[in-house]
Amino acid sequence: MFARLKALPLAFVLLISGVYVLLPIGSAAEFSLRQPATQDHGFKNYLWIFEQPEFAHYVGVSFALAAVASIILLALLVPTVVWLNLKGQKLRPFVDFITLMPLVIPVVALAIGAQNSLPEFAQTNQFILSFLYAVLAMPYAYRTLDTGLKAIPLKTISEAARGLGANWTVTIFRVISPVIRGTVLSALFMSLALSFGEFTITSLLHWDTFTTWVTVISQQNVMGAIALSVFSLAAIFIFLLLVGLLVKPATSQVTKEEE
Amino acid sequence: MSNSSLELKNVTRKFKDMVALDALNLEVGAGELVALLGPSGCGKTTALRIVAGLDRADEGQVILKGKDINALPAHKRNMGMVFQAYSLFPNMTAAENVAFGLQMRRVSKNKRRDKANELLELVGLPTHAHRFTHQLSGGQQQRVALARALAIQPEVLLLDEPLSALDAKVRTNLREEIRRLQLSLGTTTIFVTHDQEEAMAVSDRVAVMNKGHIEQIDSPDVLYNSPATDFVAGFVGSMNRLRATKTGSSLFVIGRTVGASKGGPNVEGEVVALVRHESVRVKPDATSDILIVTRSFLGPVSRITCKLPDGDLVHSMMSSAESSSLRPGDPVKIELLDKELLFQRAE
Repeated sequence: MFARLKALPLAFVLLISGVYVLLPIGSAAEFSLRQPATQDHGFKNYLWIFEQPEFAHYVGVSFALAAVASIILLALLVPTVVWLNLKGQKLRPFVDFITLMPLVIPVVALAIGAQNSLPEFAQTNQFILSFLYAVLAMPYAYRTLDTGLKAIPLKTISEAARGLGANWTVTIFRVISPVIRGTVLSALFMSLALSFGEFTITSLLHWDTFTTWVTVISQQNVMGAIALSVFSLAAIFIFLLLVGLLVKPATSQVTKEEE
Repeated sequence: MSNSSLELKNVTRKFKDMVALDALNLEVGAGELVALLGPSGCGKTTALRIVAGLDRADEGQVILKGKDINALPAHKRNMGMVFQAYSLFPNMTAAENVAFGLQMRRVSKNKRRDKANELLELVGLPTHAHRFTHQLSGGQQQRVALARALAIQPEVLLLDEPLSALDAKVRTNLREEIRRLQLSLGTTTIFVTHDQEEAMAVSDRVAVMNKGHIEQIDSPDVLYNSPATDFVAGFVGSMNRLRATKTGSSLFVIGRTVGASKGGPNVEGEVVALVRHESVRVKPDATSDILIVTRSFLGPVSRITCKLPDGDLVHSMMSSAESSSLRPGDPVKIELLDKELLFQRAE
């Protein structure tokens, strides 16, 4: 009885949060299933998505940009965060500050800055967006990596490996890499999801990706655009759910003493 | 020591303004187990890390079998180390962890497997070879870490508080196993700990460290019975510090005269006598004005705290059978078993 009473506040918070998050999504999903012509519900709007010839093209473009952004970001962040956890504790506040900058600087300023400062050849290549996406995803990917790596006794296990005869290269590839793989995958998917859904900077720099295409077609077919948004949301949700299931935390758990 | 396996000569290590090691000298004989004992921040772990090559000395030499290994990186020193924190590779099984060092030495797969199984059996985990880290208890993890460190047949086995994360019973069992293995394999070992009981129980010699240097290094018996400095006397075992008066070679303490230890400072008059708890015996005496304050039952022995007329407290450690009739508030007389007492200058 007492346990049930204790669980009440938690249930209340969960209910409010659930309503806050799920109600708009549920409403959008319901709306996207409406078929005004026949006054009933169906998948006509969803079928319309796949009939659009640009759909696959823009999904491909956005995915390629997001993939390149994620590779750039991880190539920059993984060695940085590993180093911070092994040796660079003193520089942590500085790196924390730097990685917060993309949250503080308005995206418009970043876009206009990029437009004015980048050389001509970079401005005419769509993959410049990948670099900007990498900057925007940095605060989230950095924190995902850092939190994950803090949970692993990286310093101790790398010292143990070196003591056993492994040089730094072997230590990094045979010991550190497999241990941090789960955390790196989490950061990768976080970065992919954020880059894939980026709109503001893409639009300001006049490039066309999946998100800008959704905006354009929403002016032609509102119901279709809403179906597309719900579809994207569901796809990302399933994607993240799979990540959660596939990525196991690499923390050193200790089971109950048996001795 | 002529047959020293490992020698630290004037090793100094500074971290900014803090001196972690202050010209430390240490010799460890072949097959010997030396414990570095001291409070937090005394430099014992720093010394161990310098031996392992995980940290560098600012000055001084680390000599292994006559060779200066200061410039040798950690992975070429062949030192087996067991850490305080759990340090097994979580992506490998227990057997793969044990075999890792052998793999680095390009030992064939079959030999690695056989050696790993042999060592896991040696540490009492023959059926745990295929378990991952998260499937092992803390004690089991440290056993695997010990097997992993021993697998490479290290020049020196370095144990950095390997038992401090374990519960009391596992700790006692494992420390005895460490000693058994160390003796049977004849591995030169340095054991860092802040637990004096642990250090005394497993070591050939104990080096008591304070502020970056060794105060005294001796066998556990000598260290306990003849502490060379005030610090060692206070750190090893439990001491009563009683007001006393010194006259020549005699000490007047708790209403009686005993001999003054020859190793004490050259002072006369007011001093502080150092009396081990087990050297104090308490007996009922209705005429005495010394009263029992508490009696704590600790199993085979009990600790009795008495209050002297001047308010000072005296602790006694007696067998529980002998002290079973004593109750708080009882008047008692105090006997000292030592004929000679250590003493310090009065504070």
